[in-house]
Amino acid sequence: MSATADTAATAPTRPAGGSRLDRVPPRVLSSAVGIGVLLLWELLARTVYAGSYRLSPPTAVVAEFFEFRGLYLRNLWHSTKTAAWGFLWGNLAAIALAVTATLVPWLRRSIGAVVLTVFCLPFIAVAPILRLITGPGNATPIALSALAVVFTTYVAALLGFDLAPGSALDVIRSYGRGRLTAFRNVRVRASVPALFAGLQIAAPAAFLGAVVGEFTGAHRGLGILTVRALGALQTDRIWVIAVLSTIVATGGYLAIGALGRFLCPWSPALDVGAVPVARTEPGLLNRLGGLLAPIAVVFVFWYAFLWGFGIEPFFAKTPFDVWAEMFSVPEAAETRSIIFGALGTTLWTTSLGYVVGLVGALATALVFILVPWLERALMPIAVALRSIPIIVTTPVIILFVGRGLLTTTAIVAVMSFFPTLVNCYTAMTRTPEGILDVLKSYDAASLANVRNAYLPTSVPALLASARIAVPTSLLGATVAEWLATGDGIGAVMVTAFTRNDFKILWVSVAVLTIVAVIGYSLVAAFELRTLERMAPGTAR
Amino acid sequence: MDRRGAPVDVVGVGRTFALGDGEVVALRGFDMHVPAGGFTALIGPSGCGKSTALRLVAGLDTPDEGTIDSGGSSPDEMRRHQRIGVAFQDPSLLPWRTVSTNIRLALELVGRRHDTEAVDELVELVGLQDFEKARPSQLSGGMRQRVAIARSLVTDPDLLLLDEPFGALDALTRQQLNDELQRIWTARGTTTILVTHSIPEAVYVADEVLVMSPRPGRVVARHTIGFERPRTRELLLTDRFHAEVEAVSASLHRSEGQVVQLDTDGSDGQVAQLDADPG
Repeated sequence: MSATADTAATAPTRPAGGSRLDRVPPRVLSSAVGIGVLLLWELLARTVYAGSYRLSPPTAVVAEFFEFRGLYLRNLWHSTKTAAWGFLWGNLAAIALAVTATLVPWLRRSIGAVVLTVFCLPFIAVAPILRLITGPGNATPIALSALAVVFTTYVAALLGFDLAPGSALDVIRSYGRGRLTAFRNVRVRASVPALFAGLQIAAPAAFLGAVVGEFTGAHRGLGILTVRALGALQTDRIWVIAVLSTIVATGGYLAIGALGRFLCPWSPALDVGAVPVARTEPGLLNRLGGLLAPIAVVFVFWYAFLWGFGIEPFFAKTPFDVWAEMFSVPEAAETRSIIFGALGTTLWTTSLGYVVGLVGALATALVFILVPWLERALMPIAVALRSIPIIVTTPVIILFVGRGLLTTTAIVAVMSFFPTLVNCYTAMTRTPEGILDVLKSYDAASLANVRNAYLPTSVPALLASARIAVPTSLLGATVAEWLATGDGIGAVMVTAFTRNDFKILWVSVAVLTIVAVIGYSLVAAFELRTLERMAPGTAR
Repeated sequence: MDRRGAPVDVVGVGRTFALGDGEVVALRGFDMHVPAGGFTALIGPSGCGKSTALRLVAGLDTPDEGTIDSGGSSPDEMRRHQRIGVAFQDPSLLPWRTVSTNIRLALELVGRRHDTEAVDELVELVGLQDFEKARPSQLSGGMRQRVAIARSLVTDPDLLLLDEPFGALDALTRQQLNDELQRIWTARGTTTILVTHSIPEAVYVADEVLVMSPRPGRVVARHTIGFERPRTRELLLTDRFHAEVEAVSASLHRSEGQVVQLDTDGSDGQVAQLDADPG
């Protein structure tokens, strides 16, 4: 996209040839595609899917909304308010953590580990546990909404503080002033564009957290409305909720983007969706410390959580309780077989969707690069879909695909597809003009351009997307299993939840979090190695 | 050495770009003739369309008016027949490739992937023997530029187009690379067009220096540089070199002031002040 902006100033006065569709203004093209999709949707819903409880025609969705607009607006307002509070608290926490990590460098890894652990939590199962502390009120959805934004905002804020120009920091140091002065005078100001890019992603994420929090027993809000509608097979209602969620999430995304541009008009659009992984210090001791210290910190937080809120021992499980449940109590073998059996199913369906989503996204990004009119027609839709948390549309996918194993795969694929597509395509458009000119000067074929320029340029974005997609895929999978499929570890958790079996719930949360952290770390290690091998010395 | 290379004839070329709602006329009435095996430098004020002219000759862009011809072929045909080598101010190397594989890229693109001899020869020619396995990020700016030059030469092109390839380098490295460029050109006889900001550089390496007017760019003065080759650094200290630099400099100043000069400076027949306003 930046390449488009760069070349706009020197665009030829006449079309550069190629397809005639290249001459159609992008807005016209994407509007036409949008209207086409709506018409096709209406047609399919009225014919092929008529009476199937899968697809509601757009006209019926609009009619349903207006008929029960009081109900929808009341619940929408409730969920939005919840998300707003979560957005506030989560971002304040994330910024405070990023400030600490910048000012106290030796705390950085531990803070990073805690933030990553929070990001890897299976939110859907965390909700019932949080509810033990907060009671039946609105605090659990707010807390989940806050937890949902911590990771992205933390990463963005940290990136922003790090983006401060080194020469400016040196100037401060040369006057004998310390980190705090440098922070106040340089880093805070330098972080604003990246911070806003992070807050932009956080807005839909906060909404997602609120809705997921409401899935498990709130009294009000779109989440609980969804669960009820799924139970009663109210197809139109589920579609209305999906559309409303999309509008609110996208609205938040756009509003914060506009605010960011207004506050720092000098800054180019920053993409914090695909920040490369940070380099780790070499050396065995560092690595060991890097592994043990974060685990210790997570344990400290775990105990602090249990004691701080004074949770009754029946509900509260410490790390050692979880260990005992898994390995030393008499029923441990049975627990293990339930958990690992279900986990196997979940991992299988999730990996399939994950791979399909990533490969599909990369292939689509390449097609968009090679066929510009297709990109102009479809990319705006992809960008819009990336900004919405796909999880809030899970019920719609459940309706459409059914309640089989494939549902999980489909949801995970869709969830990993859109962010990866946008990140990879954006990276490809940033392929240096000079390299493309060199290739063109030898009349290189499209395939040679792909192999020598577009594909390698998109590798960092692809790997960063693949890393972020690990926890989000597992989250999507568990939500799908919890709400619909009755398979996998999500189903184990929902059964435990309905039976008040907090032992299994804690064990599941712990196991899922560990799996997500390990998956994330493996991709991160692979990412770091690949970046170092591809272009030594360029990793952050 | 045999003289290879294609001549370049540019006649009445114009090129206009859209800029927001308006447009920018980059070139108008641009004429240039480079003989086969010649070395021409193109010099002019910032934004005068030098790079645009070079891109047109390279077939990377097409003119709105006028013709460009290389011994019967259009730039696009030259490009499609892979007879052109280009190097820009930004070396535009692939960061994930080594020095040798970056040079080999051009061979791969023309279907001579296995011609390792050519790669070795070029690596040696630009003096990077000990860095064949290094990545661009491990090289200095000057070394990267050498790789870009080597890449542009490895396919043995008929036409070498250089757009300020040394523009971002320090004066010392620049002089060193100019010596090498001259040596390579003498050895290979490729028709070469060099776009540059530096008058001494242009006078030092080229047979002919063309001075362009501010936008819309045209050639307003032509200086034939008659110094014998090989030219060495001692030349830089001579009065005749300074006189030539002064002369080009004067042309450039006149062009920047947009002073219309219709007469030809006939002092020794070497400087031609061209018609300034064709229409």
